[in-house]
Amino acid sequence: MLDFNISLSDNVDATQLFDLIIIGGGPAGLTAGLYAARYKLKTLMIEKAAVPGGQLIATQWVENYPGFPEPVLGQTLAQDMEKQARFFGLEIVRENVISTTLTGEVKEVTTEHNTWKTKTIIICTGSSPRLLDIEGEAEYAGNGVSYCATCDGPFYPDKVVAVVGGGNSAFEEALFIAKYARQIYLIHRSDKYTADSILQERVKAEPKIMLIPNTTVETIDFATEPRSLKIKKADSREPEKLEVDGIFIFVGSIPNTSLFEGQIELLNGYIKSYADNATSLEGVWAAGDVQAKTLRQVATAVGDGANAAHAVNKYLIHKG
Amino acid sequence: MPMLDEKVMQEVTKALANMKNPVTLMLFTQPFECGYCKDTHTLLSELIAANKLLKLEVKQFDGDEEAVKSMGIDKIPAIAVLGDKDYGIRFYGIPAGYEFSSLLSAILMVSTGITKLTPETKTFLSNLSKPVHLQVFVTPTCPYCPGAVILAHQLAFVSPHVVADMVEITEFPHLAQKYSVQGVPRTTINEKWFVEGAAPEAMLIAKLKEAL
Repeated sequence: MLDFNISLSDNVDATQLFDLIIIGGGPAGLTAGLYAARYKLKTLMIEKAAVPGGQLIATQWVENYPGFPEPVLGQTLAQDMEKQARFFGLEIVRENVISTTLTGEVKEVTTEHNTWKTKTIIICTGSSPRLLDIEGEAEYAGNGVSYCATCDGPFYPDKVVAVVGGGNSAFEEALFIAKYARQIYLIHRSDKYTADSILQERVKAEPKIMLIPNTTVETIDFATEPRSLKIKKADSREPEKLEVDGIFIFVGSIPNTSLFEGQIELLNGYIKSYADNATSLEGVWAAGDVQAKTLRQVATAVGDGANAAHAVNKYLIHKG
Repeated sequence: MPMLDEKVMQEVTKALANMKNPVTLMLFTQPFECGYCKDTHTLLSELIAANKLLKLEVKQFDGDEEAVKSMGIDKIPAIAVLGDKDYGIRFYGIPAGYEFSSLLSAILMVSTGITKLTPETKTFLSNLSKPVHLQVFVTPTCPYCPGAVILAHQLAFVSPHVVADMVEITEFPHLAQKYSVQGVPRTTINEKWFVEGAAPEAMLIAKLKEAL
């Protein structure tokens, strides 16, 4: 069954003053956009990717978002969130933000193409996959090194693959890759996994997945065939060779806040948020993974987005 | 049952409402159509109903030698998106899934003449005198791929020296082998140089400069 995604950049007049600009189109931003559109705020979403949805679109199945008793495809959920927000009038442009002016009555968001002006901003820039930062990683990104199982899993039919990490992403994506690959080594630096218990049980029940705890990956040696990794067990001095055709890395994420450094209060790199998702700056809110918080899930992101849009609406009414 | 259901057609009609000039989708196929040739043919037949300015022209890969040769078509299904001239915009394999957005973007660009490229890129393209062949390898389920495809097609639209192909790699596995594609999007420049992922515009241009 073929499906057809329609996700195009809107043509929007860049000279107008917006009530609200939402930077980033993941679940937090799309929910903020939905609420703001229903409040009839003059709202613009700026998203750098061709397809909104943020990290949700790189996830195969979502099974812990309420309302979907059957697992829902991350891509479907993202597409539906976009459709719903657009239905109420949200406009989305595909542009890459290069700088922002977050203070003053009129704030500015500058992209490679335009400088957009707005009274308020909700930052929903999310986070990006953390790199292992080891030899061979950058050289073979996209050619054996991957951070997106739904994108690249199908390239490993009957192959041997390493998955690195101990959290939900690593476990979920290892299970997805198991549909294609013959053997998966799930490598983690400790023997304590943070993945949900239900995922741990499923991974243990999957004969194709072999857990390799207390082990780090030292180098990615893909220049010579057969391709291999150098891995090191915590209790051994000598690294050993592990032959694999590819490696998927899910070792957490880093906040996309470099645009705002020095302008807004951060906490461990994430945006420090206060009641109603406010930030240290007047007229600027933050929602979703980019915020300093403990649980980064679709379910928490949408709550943040709704809260922030509601606060923006209240603020604008109050300002008159 | 149609391939594009009523709801999708409504959205497509809305998305293409801003078309200004006629656009021809030239499909290359064969009399006994390969699986995806048939699907692509059906898709385009239904799509053209969305706007009067859209036209479908079917060419035979084995029969219409002149068109095949002049457009450099080397595999099917292939679509060339033509306006008042051939801009070098190609789709090899079915533009379904996320790539459907790439096809609509290409139609709108050719029809309206609107591109979204930085002045730096435009300057680079206006000084370009050597041929550039971009091949963007994609899969229909890759959400990062349309970004790379749309960018490549814009370069082709602006410069007469650039030909840009979307290549749906699962339909052409021998090309996955040839260009060692193990992740998408992957873009090749003139067969030799590679760019991984949906590279930002400036990064692709830097790589182009290096390649030429």
